[in-house]
Parts: sequence; C-alpha cells; structure tokens
Amino acid sequence: MRTLDELFERTTRQLAQRTSRRSLLASLGQALTGAALLPLLPFDRSQRAGAAESAPQAAGPQSCQYWKHCAIDGFLCSCCGGSSSSCPPGTTPSPISWVGTCHNPADGRDYMVSYNDCCGKSSCGTCDCTRNEGEKPVYRPSRNNDLNWCMANADVDYHCTVSVILGVAEK
Amino acid sequence: MRARYVVLAALLCPWLAARALAVSPPLPPEHLKVEPLPPRSPHWVYVYDEAFDNEIDARVYLIDGDSHRRLGQIGAGFYTSLNVSPDGASTAVATTYFARGSRGARTDVVEFTDNTTLAVTHEILLPAKRAQTGPSLFNLAYSDDGHLLYAAYMTPAASFGVLDPAAGKVLGEIDTAGCVLVIPSGRYRVSSLCESGRLLTVTLDAQGRELARAMSDPFFNADTDPVFVQGIPTKRGYVFLSFLGEVHDIDFSGAQPVFAAPWSLLGGSDQGHWRPGAFQVGAIHKELRRLYVPMHQGGEGTHKDGGTEIWVYDLATHRRLARWPLKGHGLTRVIAVQVSQDPSPILFGATETSQLAVFDALSGQLRHIDKHVGQTPWMLLNP
Repeated sequence: MRTLDELFERTTRQLAQRTSRRSLLASLGQALTGAALLPLLPFDRSQRAGAAESAPQAAGPQSCQYWKHCAIDGFLCSCCGGSSSSCPPGTTPSPISWVGTCHNPADGRDYMVSYNDCCGKSSCGTCDCTRNEGEKPVYRPSRNNDLNWCMANADVDYHCTVSVILGVAEK
Repeated sequence: MRARYVVLAALLCPWLAARALAVSPPLPPEHLKVEPLPPRSPHWVYVYDEAFDNEIDARVYLIDGDSHRRLGQIGAGFYTSLNVSPDGASTAVATTYFARGSRGARTDVVEFTDNTTLAVTHEILLPAKRAQTGPSLFNLAYSDDGHLLYAAYMTPAASFGVLDPAAGKVLGEIDTAGCVLVIPSGRYRVSSLCESGRLLTVTLDAQGRELARAMSDPFFNADTDPVFVQGIPTKRGYVFLSFLGEVHDIDFSGAQPVFAAPWSLLGGSDQGHWRPGAFQVGAIHKELRRLYVPMHQGGEGTHKDGGTEIWVYDLATHRRLARWPLKGHGLTRVIAVQVSQDPSPILFGATETSQLAVFDALSGQLRHIDKHVGQTPWMLLNP
C-alpha cells in the first residue's frame, strides 16, 4: 500500500510540475465530458437519439439543418455509415469532444450536444456541414469545432462527426 | 464553271498542305528539365488548401497574381500549420503523417521548403503534440529574426515547442497555462490567447529557455464578443477582430503588449446587421495602413460564413473607405483575404467554392478570377 501511495504521490507531483492547474482542469473537464458519454451509450443514448431522430423533422440527421447539428463542423457520420449518434464501422470514437446547446423544435427543449469525432480513417468526404451556433475560438476548446478531436486517439486521422445528446440544457 | 474551281481547290488544299508540312523542318528534340521559379514577386501568394475532403493530402499552391499562373506546390500532409520565414527564403510546414497513408503510427514533423526551388531542405521531428486546428498565422510562427520557430501544441493541454530551424532541432517546451497559440514578437517573446480574454506573454532567451512571463489585462470577453484568433500583422503588432466587429489594435513592439482603445467596423445603420466572418478574416497593407475585411449580413453563429462584400478601412482614422460587393463579379462568399505589401498592391480573395479573385487593392477593380483553386483554400500568405 505504501508503494502505491508513493507511486500516486510521485505521479501527481510530476503532473503538477508539467501542467498548470487551469490547463489540468480544462483537460480533465473535456476528457470527462467525452468519457461520461461513452459508458451511457448502451442503455440510454441510443434510445434517446433514436427517439429524437424518429420525431417528425423538416430535416433528418443526414441534413446539415438537423437540429442536433447546430454547432457541428465536419462530415456527418449519418452519411458515412454511422448515424448522428454512432460512428461508422471500423472507426473509433474520440473520447474527448466539444459541446453545443441546440434547440429541438419537436419538444421545444434545449439540449446539450456532444460533438465527438470518429477517427482512424481518412475524411468521409460527404455531407460536409459547418454550423457554429455558440461556437467559440480555440482558446475555449470545449466549445471549439476547429480542433481535430481525434487528437487524443491512438489513431488521430479524422473521419466524421456525431451529434450525441448529453441531456437537457439547464437554463 | 465557278463550282468546278471550288471543287478543284477543295481537293488541292489538303494536298498542298501536306506538301508544305513535308518540307517544313521537324520539331527539335525536347529536353526534360525542372522548371526554375522566376524571381520572387510581391504579387505572389501562397494558397493553403486544407483539402478537407481528403485531409491527409493538404497542399500549398504558389500563384502569381500578375500572370495568374500556378508556379508550383508544396506538400502539406494532415491538418497543417504553416508560415513563411521573415526573410521569405523558407516555408515551414508543421504536419502529421501516418505510417500507412491514412492510418498507422503518427509522425509530427516540421518540413522546411526552399522558396527559390520549392524543394524540401530539411525537417525537425516534433513530439506527437502538435495543435491540429484551423489555420492561422499563430499555429506555427517564426521569431522576428528567424532564429527561433514556435509550434503550438495541444493534447488538449496547451503548450508550445521552441525550435531551432537552422540547427534542425527542438530546443524545449513551454507550458502556457491553458492559453493557446503562438503570437511572436521581438527577440524572443511569445504571446498566447487565453479564455479569460488576456494575453500570456512568455519571454525566452536565445536558447529557447523561459526568462519571464506576464499576463495582460483582459482585452475581450469570450462570452459576449470573442475575437477571431486569425490576427492580422501590422507594423508594430497585430489587429484582432471580434465576432461583432470590434477592432483591437495591439502594439507588440515592447516588452508587454499595449492595447489601443477598440473601435468598431460598423456604423450606426450597420450595427446588428453586418459582421466580419471568414477563415482568414482580414488583411492589412502595413505601409498604407489599410484594412480589408470580408463582411456579411448575419447573426450569432455566422462567424465563418464568409463575406459577400469586402469593406476597406483606414486604420489611422478608423474611417471606412469603400465597400466592394462581390456577387456582381460571379464570386461566392470570400473566406480568406490577403493583400500584397508593395506600393501597387493587389488583394487576393479565396471563396467558399475555391475561386481565387485578384483585385486592385487601391481601386477595388477586379483583375482576374481563377475559377478553381483546389478544394478548401482557407489561408493566403504573402511571399
């Protein structure tokens, strides 16, 4: 146990020396945002995303105008073999992401949406969609869609982007 | 009778033509060679094409704004950062390659191209931390004297690498406390933009070691009116434009940045209707102190929409000098602008449909449109 304590202390001290508190918090916050959504996928997200996509909409998830895509910048995974909440076969979701707040006209609610990139293959090259509602420059990374969010993956090549509902946005 | 002559002439003409061809001397043998670049012109422009549909194959086109010829190309890899050295002799491209084309082991590298030959001369391997983000002059930037090169890192923890381009090596890494990008000034200061609206300025020695750091007062509010990160060089620093059209003119010539009082691009009737917007959102002729901005009508979330007009300002008086509408020329929205720095300047505008327009930068007269320059021409650099 003492060895474990020492190891943890050493690692923490090294981390503290390498990074500022602010950058550490920012990184952790972003990582947690992405990490939080992945375990939810099997039981919750697909159901909610499916419900959202089955609601009558003027534009579906393959359309850039679809409500969930309000802060996206990239190729819609719905056009690339995936859906608006699933990556195409053979790609890997990014564990970190940026977020947006989008209004669903079907139920009148605002939702927090996580824009994760799907990684490990070259650009999908179809359904390019750039919308920037609430998007901020790279000095606010959690709201920035210019970054390659595959940056922390083992394979950082960018393929497409999904729009995954995280929950109802608090007012 | 006349018809008979016509028939005879028609029969004889091919025969006569064939005779003439047979007696003319044959074409001389050709010798395969590599075309040399002509002497550098201030009217050249480097066009960065992100090649978004196949992003592992970004490239930089060198185009002559007078002859409208494409002079050559620099390979640029994946999610590229680039800049031209202060003396114009080299182009530095920071990029990422994968061992097996679109997948496999990642190699981050800075490649240096000799701008008189467009051949790669040498490279510096980087740690796998390079910031892969939209183009700006501050993803990869030289010190004023060209001795140091700074590469923005983001993992997403933010820092930057200090490189020695002549020796071809990485000198070190500087943590930036969550602030991003590398805005160079003097010997050897690097400023980074912070979410708090401040600038962090780190001063280095000639070996790239940190000597001091200081944080400025806030000069913008990221919640209410963020600034574009695509700062525009002036004689003493950079101008940063905000989403709502505020002009932040910052003097970087001293030890710490000095902020002039901001002013607005928008007159009373323009407020709430027009905005700046683009991937490269402005250009400045440093001597003439003229600012060129792509402007569009739109609201929240339209900051990358591109301009339907170019608006021209006098930086000294803050007066708008001209509005140049683009639609009448058959141009789509302009997403990147650059102006040559000579006394007879030309203005380049790249559009969302990959057109490259060349204007007289004094009169606004359209000189030429190249209808198709690559896929996604997101940034234009002076030679």
